Amino acid sequence: MLTRRNAFKAAAGLAATATVGTAGVANAADKVIKIGLNMSFTGADAESAVRVANAAIMAFDDANSTGAIKGYKFEYVKFDDGTATAGQYDPAQAATNARKMVSDKAFVAALGPQMSGAGKAMAPILSEGNLAIITPSSTNPDITDPKFAAQYRPAGKAIYFRTVATDAFQGPNMANFMAKTLKIKSVYVLDDSGAYGVGIADAFQAQIEKNGVKVLGRDRLDPKAVDYAAVLTKIKALNPDALYFGGVGQAGVKLVKQSYEIVPNMIKAGGDGVYSTDILKGAGFPSFDNWYSTQASPHVTEEKGSEVFTTRFFQRFGSRPDDYAVTCYTAAQVIIQAAKDIVATGKEPTRDAMQAAIQNVSLKGSLIGTVEFDPNGDMKNKVISVFQVKKDAAKPLDDTESQFKYVGVAPMS
Amino acid sequence: MTAGDILLQQAINGLSLGAMYSLLALGFTLVYGIMELINFAHFNVFMVGSMIAMLVLQAFGLSGQQTILTGLPLIGVLLVGFIVSMVGCGLIGVLIERFLLRPLRNVKGPAAMITTIGVSYILFNLVLLTLGTDSKNFPNPLPPIKWEIGGAVLRLREVLIWVIALALMGGLTYFVTYTKLGKAMRATAQDPEAARMMGVEVDRVVMSAFFLGSALAGASGMIFGLYYNLAKVDIGFAAGLRAFTAAVLGGIGNVPGAMLGGVLIGLIESGSGQVIGAAWTDVVIFGILVLVLVFRPAGLLGRLAPNKS
Repeated sequence: MLTRRNAFKAAAGLAATATVGTAGVANAADKVIKIGLNMSFTGADAESAVRVANAAIMAFDDANSTGAIKGYKFEYVKFDDGTATAGQYDPAQAATNARKMVSDKAFVAALGPQMSGAGKAMAPILSEGNLAIITPSSTNPDITDPKFAAQYRPAGKAIYFRTVATDAFQGPNMANFMAKTLKIKSVYVLDDSGAYGVGIADAFQAQIEKNGVKVLGRDRLDPKAVDYAAVLTKIKALNPDALYFGGVGQAGVKLVKQSYEIVPNMIKAGGDGVYSTDILKGAGFPSFDNWYSTQASPHVTEEKGSEVFTTRFFQRFGSRPDDYAVTCYTAAQVIIQAAKDIVATGKEPTRDAMQAAIQNVSLKGSLIGTVEFDPNGDMKNKVISVFQVKKDAAKPLDDTESQFKYVGVAPMS
Repeated sequence: MTAGDILLQQAINGLSLGAMYSLLALGFTLVYGIMELINFAHFNVFMVGSMIAMLVLQAFGLSGQQTILTGLPLIGVLLVGFIVSMVGCGLIGVLIERFLLRPLRNVKGPAAMITTIGVSYILFNLVLLTLGTDSKNFPNPLPPIKWEIGGAVLRLREVLIWVIALALMGGLTYFVTYTKLGKAMRATAQDPEAARMMGVEVDRVVMSAFFLGSALAGASGMIFGLYYNLAKVDIGFAAGLRAFTAAVLGGIGNVPGAMLGGVLIGLIESGSGQVIGAAWTDVVIFGILVLVLVFRPAGLLGRLAPNKS
């Protein structure tokens, strides 16, 4: 068993040594393995979409240039599930993209989406087409929960895989952290009406109550509304120790700004939805200072072994990767590994074969450790990392990697 | 905070929202009063106004909330910001009227209204393509002065917004009531045919209505930015719809009605956020709108529309 640090070295070494085996470099005669990349390239999450997609592109390009699978090459097609009207991901557009991929037999697997609301729209369609997708960041637990199998995988097989943990862990583990480490006695819970926001806030609320913390109220923000002063004034009057927000940047920016005006000294926290460049840029400092957030993955981009990945990523794309770029890179590696496993047995990487191979994959030594999936498509290894915003004036003020300080791993439930 | 403090604080919140909605509602009402046209482009003229204001403030070297100005520099920067965004939006309004709506002036049916929806999306997408979709940190040079009244907090920016909104509304009322062009506007609103026969240049009147309405949208764009420290491509739809509702609630076409409607919607919004929950705000606002329209179809203060008989 590799320790994590050794695993990085192994992964880094893999990337370095792979270039030696150039005998099988992809050429024009190679058969194509076509992969769909579905991200929210339009709207509030566009920047992280590009970063996450770039990580996948880097993985596939590496596989092609080193001839990772003899006789085959990867081709990727980008799909945008964001629309200008929605201002962020749009479930209707996500469903359309899923239909496009399913109806083109050439697509044998997909990466994405970033957002759970998009995932909920895509999963049933992908299930009918038995097209496996791996999400680097969508964390709503319902999609892979067997309770909702009839809704999200009507055809039966798991097709929605993740290289992140879910909000079934992200919300509750953060609740444990706030109750045990921050020792709060009361909290007010808000969500942004989205699939992700409501799910994570519900899970948080259930666990924080179990910890004996008083929930003074729960309300829902309209992400398109501009003014949250009314609900914040109500919260100020109730005077809880902390405010927990389940949601993403669109409501987040406004909440961060206005909560700084109205309840400046309250402990404020959110999920990975507030771990956001959009909020750093749109709300900035001092409003955002001291907010807590989580990531549903181990924090690896600061660890030594991931330097090779980070440096290569920066050299190629001119920006630093974040943890979800790492999970997306890993997701692409899973797809590459699955295709490799199939070709090794002399079979064609068809859609059905890819679904089965991803289900049974065992990717060792990846940047986030060993990746294996349970029968629902969730990762067996689940870690939630806690961060806090701390202004670092010497670094770019809109860079999540520089402005979010790693606090530690949130206690499991 | 005592119950009284909460009430006072929510009233302050509501009045600030109301001031913004009122200014925006006036733009709908001015154009409707004269042309019986609902100008949906107004939503995004407002959004463009906030973007113009942001660019002006940034041109002065302000960024985020880092630079605080006082005294004359503050007044100067704000004045230039307001003037440029108001004139800029006014000109956009004039261009929309002259080139897109005037050719449709005598076309019956919803063609002109549909055109304004199209223009709204064109403005939206122009900003989307040039400035992007992310939330911008609107520069705010106002000093963080605030007064505590019991447990409630009144900030300088709120007072400023009320004063500016009142001044603009007062100016508009004076203009419409006492100036020659204002009288011509009211004459055109009452009966365009008769006004034309009396020597009123209807084209000029319509253009002025568009200029004034859009300039007020520009001012509310600037106010919005100063109040929320935020500029974003999608704010037009959120604030615009509430403002339009305010205009209808007060009686569309009616200038005092728009002001009353705006303040009422602002107060309802903060009141329902306190009592019922933020999730229900839209339900409450539109529920009250429906109720008012059932019993007073012309709005609270009555509709003033051109006499087309």
